[in-house]
Amino acid sequence: MVVDQSEFESFGSWFYIYMVDFSMLALFMLVGWAILAFALAAIRNSPIRAAKMIAGTIKRAFMVDFPSTSIRRTMAMSRLAIQEAIRNKVLIIFVLFVALLLFAGWFLDVENDHPARLYLGFVLSASTYLLLALAMFLSAFSLPNDIKNRTIYTITTKPVRAHEIFLGRVFGFAAVGTLLLVLMASVSYGFVIRGLDHEHTIDKTAIEWDESTGLGTGKTSLDGYHRHDFTINEKLKNADGLVGTTELSKGHAHNIYLRDGDYIVEPPTGDLLARVPVYGKLSFLDRYGQPSEEGGLNVGKEWTYRSYIEGNTLSTAIWEFENLTKEMFVTTGSDDGVLPLELNLRVFRSTKGKIESRIHGEILLVNPEETLSSVDRFSAPIPFEADEFVTSQVNIKFSDIRRQNPVTGELQNIDLFKDLVDSGKLQVHIRCKDHAQFFGMARADVYIRAPEGSFEANLIKCYLGIWMQMLLVILLGVFFSTFLNGIVALISSVAIVAMGMFAGFIGDIQTGEAPGGGPIESIVRNITQQGATLELEMGDTAIEVIESLDGFYLNTMESLAKLAPDFSKFNMSAKVAYGYDIHLNLILRQLVTTMVYFFVLVLAGYFILTSREIAA
Amino acid sequence: MSTSAGQKGEVIVETRNLTKTYKDFWGRSKVHALKALDLNVRRGEIFGLLGPNGSGKSTTIKLLLGLLFPTSGEALVFGKDAADVSKNERIGYLPEESYLYKFLNAEETLDFYGRLFNMSGARRKSRIRDLINLIDLDWAKRRQLKEYSKGMTRRIGLAQALINDPELIVLDEPTTGLDPIGTRDMKDLIVRLRDQGKTILMCSHLLADVQDVCDRIAILHQGELKELGAVDSLLSVQDITQIQAKNLTPDTEEAIRKLIAENQGELVSMDHPTTTLEDLFLSIVRDSESRPGFVSHQEDADQQEEPVAAE
Ligand SMILES: Nc1ncnc2c1ncn2[C@@H]1O[C@H](COP(=O)(O)OP(=O)(O)O)[C@@H](O)[C@H]1O
Ligand SMILES: [Mg+2]
Repeated sequence: MVVDQSEFESFGSWFYIYMVDFSMLALFMLVGWAILAFALAAIRNSPIRAAKMIAGTIKRAFMVDFPSTSIRRTMAMSRLAIQEAIRNKVLIIFVLFVALLLFAGWFLDVENDHPARLYLGFVLSASTYLLLALAMFLSAFSLPNDIKNRTIYTITTKPVRAHEIFLGRVFGFAAVGTLLLVLMASVSYGFVIRGLDHEHTIDKTAIEWDESTGLGTGKTSLDGYHRHDFTINEKLKNADGLVGTTELSKGHAHNIYLRDGDYIVEPPTGDLLARVPVYGKLSFLDRYGQPSEEGGLNVGKEWTYRSYIEGNTLSTAIWEFENLTKEMFVTTGSDDGVLPLELNLRVFRSTKGKIESRIHGEILLVNPEETLSSVDRFSAPIPFEADEFVTSQVNIKFSDIRRQNPVTGELQNIDLFKDLVDSGKLQVHIRCKDHAQFFGMARADVYIRAPEGSFEANLIKCYLGIWMQMLLVILLGVFFSTFLNGIVALISSVAIVAMGMFAGFIGDIQTGEAPGGGPIESIVRNITQQGATLELEMGDTAIEVIESLDGFYLNTMESLAKLAPDFSKFNMSAKVAYGYDIHLNLILRQLVTTMVYFFVLVLAGYFILTSREIAA
Repeated sequence: MSTSAGQKGEVIVETRNLTKTYKDFWGRSKVHALKALDLNVRRGEIFGLLGPNGSGKSTTIKLLLGLLFPTSGEALVFGKDAADVSKNERIGYLPEESYLYKFLNAEETLDFYGRLFNMSGARRKSRIRDLINLIDLDWAKRRQLKEYSKGMTRRIGLAQALINDPELIVLDEPTTGLDPIGTRDMKDLIVRLRDQGKTILMCSHLLADVQDVCDRIAILHQGELKELGAVDSLLSVQDITQIQAKNLTPDTEEAIRKLIAENQGELVSMDHPTTTLEDLFLSIVRDSESRPGFVSHQEDADQQEEPVAAE
């Protein structure tokens, strides 16, 4: 799962940058609007009169209209919007959604390796798209219809204020959307739980018992297109009868109980998670063990999200974790703790080794205090094996952390928190052991796993993100409909949402992270048949011209895209599907963004509606 | 018809040099719908805007309500600019067609508009009951407006205009779509509202409407004000006397001139004939076509005294 760099920022620094950026943009727009409005008014009237009119409008807004905002009027407008939506049979969308789930079996790959991811990804994106589409339609056509039918005449000649008309629409449609979202979420939850639920049985007679260890091994029955290997240890059996667990398959495992002489396989566990990762900072050492400025290698396989370290060299990936305390890892009552690391490393083979076999690596726990001697800084290497696309869990027991005694050469135990953690900081170094093989990693790929969050709570957070996207779409739709007709307002909403969803992409072209360059470069590459990942082969001046033209275009697009809310930041379904807890930080940012757009768009909508001739 | 009511009271509606030119998308002038209109409507009178279709009546009303913005000049209601929404608290407006939400029933409609006046639930309830009785729609109050006939829609439209017990009632062609009885009821209601102290500004192209109920009228033609004054003074023709008699034989008819001269015979009526509005109207139209831009104000004298009257 790709984690956006910006997620590592603290809320405070994000907020500061966002507010500065946004205030600049808002100021720019306000001045632009004032100049435009003045120019338009001045053409029709004298400049003095134009200035007076604009001043009057602003004064009336802040002195009369905003202070006299009435909840009753706004709610009356909302009720009307709800009635209108219901009358337009919007709940059909829900029927459509249910139908989609009923027939999901036809187009969802039942033999997928991660059914939980598949189902969650499916229901979350289907709900999002349906909901956003509905929000666009409702919001874009409502006001234009009122203007076309002239029902607006009987509204604006009442004391209802322009922003109340705006807000009424927004709240009404949001209420309808919320109802729909709650319905879809409940059905989705049932769909996922039911879809993942399955049973296996164990054929008692087929269990192979190892005489010496007393362990029983075997395979469960084939259900839901998979079976599990399992190991039974009857000695473990406790009061409720737990005698073992199965191996992981399709992202989950089962507990095995012994009851009345039968081995019972319980429902699946471990596929609906909310892992809480504690991330560190990532840096690299090159193959000679020197700090590397550019990060690791880029093996040209994918864009620069991940960097690679070369096997059997000093090439190292270093994660530095902060604010670690012993209490985070020691379960109460016991002295021995566990440092739970999770690694999602990419594996890149430059030679055709045995494709099947795993690649070996080692972990060193390192004191970040560089003034210490290297003997005192490093732990002995802890070996692990990595597999492509599989999360490796490396649970390092405190009692397994050792270091070679420089005098005797013997391994001796050391204390993680006394010897390696320095004022809460610890480095984790990772190397690849196999020659001519590579590990690929990004900052979010290795983390310490904190105690689990609740999956349901995580799901609710994800839906909150979808809800905020819906609110944004409604705000944009109603905003556009204050001055555009229904169809054009709809198209504008779609364009803005698309722009918002691809805002990150435009940024990536800018920073050179997406290959192929800007539009002109792409055209040139197309015409001259040059692939997107190679250096452009042309005269220097030509390249310079192309790049500056593209730069100008992309800069403009980027500023425009900045105006649009970044919808991709609100989409957290990947986190839920991959089982990562959604940090409150993210929700908070989305909340701030939504509120900012809320106020800006309501304000803009008010001024457009009041300066618009309703009956023209 | 009292003219005195219209002459004195405080000015409720005022237009100064009010001009409206509809422009096309590119800002080019398309229609000069209203040309430099000066009007005053005073508290307690029924003021009628009369004119053929397209003469600028609805435009005037929309300018006063802030639905349109003047190209130049000013429109003031209760002394406030037409763009000021707070003036709407005291206004009731019946548009040329009742633009209402067809999926609401009569009660829901009135309740909705009541909420827009921030009226409490109890007040809305009693007001809705009174208004539904007033317009005689009790039997259909639960039916969606899309099932309503044109006349019924018109009546519910009037009821929504009265929901806030407005001081100023603006009616755009109030009798269109009504049958003769409905028309009569509407006119009676308008007069009754005036008698309750309300100010009414209405427009119509129907001469009979205006003649029957209005205290003062303004005649618009092609966006220009052609006549302004009390209805009876506009319609009386001073230098002609009309006599009506009955039971005259051809012989006596012959003697009429004599009889009149000697003041004998049964005099049934003796009066200045009122031209019908239709005649006045047609003469104005003919006049303005031969002398464009000319405006005859019977009330010019009154208007000059206006500052005293308005205080
Ligand atoms: N929205 C508009 N755009 C362009 N022209 C209009 C518009 N509304 C009215 N007009 C024109 O303005 C003139 C006056 O119209 P209106 O005030 O509706 O007349 P009335 O109500 O007296 O019948 C007419 O010529 C009409 O065609
Ligand atoms: Mg009209």
